[in-house]
Amino acid sequence: MEGDFTATSANRKCSAVAGSTRKIKDNAADWHNLMVRWDKLNEDGFSAAANIVNIRLKRSPMDQWLLVDESPSAPSDGAAELQDECCKLQVVINKMVVMVTKMECLMTSQRGVQDLEEFQFGAEGRKFPLFHSWSTKKFEESSRLLLDYFGQELKLKQTILQELAHTATSDLCMVYLSCWLHQPFIPPQSRLTLEALLLETGHRPL
Amino acid sequence: MSKPAILSLHQALMKSFQSIENNQKVWGNVLADCSPLMVSLANLAEQSRALSNVQISNTPLRDFPDLEARLHFKILQATDTVLVKLNEKMSSLQSVRDTISNQVSAVVQLYEQSADCLDLLTVTERSATAPSVSDMLEWLQDAERHYRQQFLRRKTLLQTLRADDLSLLESAPKRWKSLESPSAEEHISDTLCKVSFFIESQ
Repeated sequence: MEGDFTATSANRKCSAVAGSTRKIKDNAADWHNLMVRWDKLNEDGFSAAANIVNIRLKRSPMDQWLLVDESPSAPSDGAAELQDECCKLQVVINKMVVMVTKMECLMTSQRGVQDLEEFQFGAEGRKFPLFHSWSTKKFEESSRLLLDYFGQELKLKQTILQELAHTATSDLCMVYLSCWLHQPFIPPQSRLTLEALLLETGHRPL
Repeated sequence: MSKPAILSLHQALMKSFQSIENNQKVWGNVLADCSPLMVSLANLAEQSRALSNVQISNTPLRDFPDLEARLHFKILQATDTVLVKLNEKMSSLQSVRDTISNQVSAVVQLYEQSADCLDLLTVTERSATAPSVSDMLEWLQDAERHYRQQFLRRKTLLQTLRADDLSLLESAPKRWKSLESPSAEEHISDTLCKVSFFIESQ
């Protein structure tokens, strides 16, 4: 781990300390990138979800009319479109699953850094912080917090994907869309946690 | 005696009309920015209403802990953000109004100071290119009153909004739009056309 990086001017300062520093700093950058990409995916997914709801709500009065008329030929044109949008949403969710898996890897790697430190310095850890003031444990805690947020949010989104195209009441559709858009399980402090991480690791100037 | 007085009055009138011309554009741009914000407000209110209409425990979302409270919080937070943006827009409108009011009252004051040495003929005399001083003063005051009233009405509408009063929020875009007064705006544009030669003449 120790000799794993090249000493460019950007990382020379950190490289003087230990490999763990490099690892933590890279992890912080990865967290940032993943969260930015997640937001982008969320926007893409939202437009697909909104389309699904629109198709769905447009169709539902038709279905009632069909029950009376019993003509089997009419409803197919909206169905293909609906299927198409559902596939798009599925693609977004698949990408989100990959991202949460990557977040889990970050968490594991953070755990590894922590284990290494316990091995090297014993249970109370190193005497001097790797960066400004955080103990190594704090990085792990931050990672765990963020992973929990995104893991739970992913579950919510998976539920929405399963239910959205089968929901006929407009209020519930609206709640699903609202959930997708506002991401209730990613609280505003997630942003603060990330910024704190970036600040501590020196990605953001103090 | 009246010659220097009328000259400086003309100068001041010209400056005011130029200021109105510039600020009319700013005003229009700010209002154009406000409309989508009002629509988002109504949209967020609609989301809140949908959330309160749905019994989460009877839906597939029942397994998620405090989903309702979390989502409600997020919607309120988003509403707050939009309201903050609208308030910033109101400050821009206010500064437009203040600029125009100050300009116009300065001109009127200047007129009042020199009114004694201006006879009726000088004040009402007009030419092919310049409207009379009295007409221009009237137009300026009309324009000033328009922006003053518009600002007050819009500010009042915003101040009556409450994040927990959904029907108020939902009707906000409609009421906001109903405050538009295209005839008054047109009147100001007409006025600016009427004084365009006068502005360019000096």
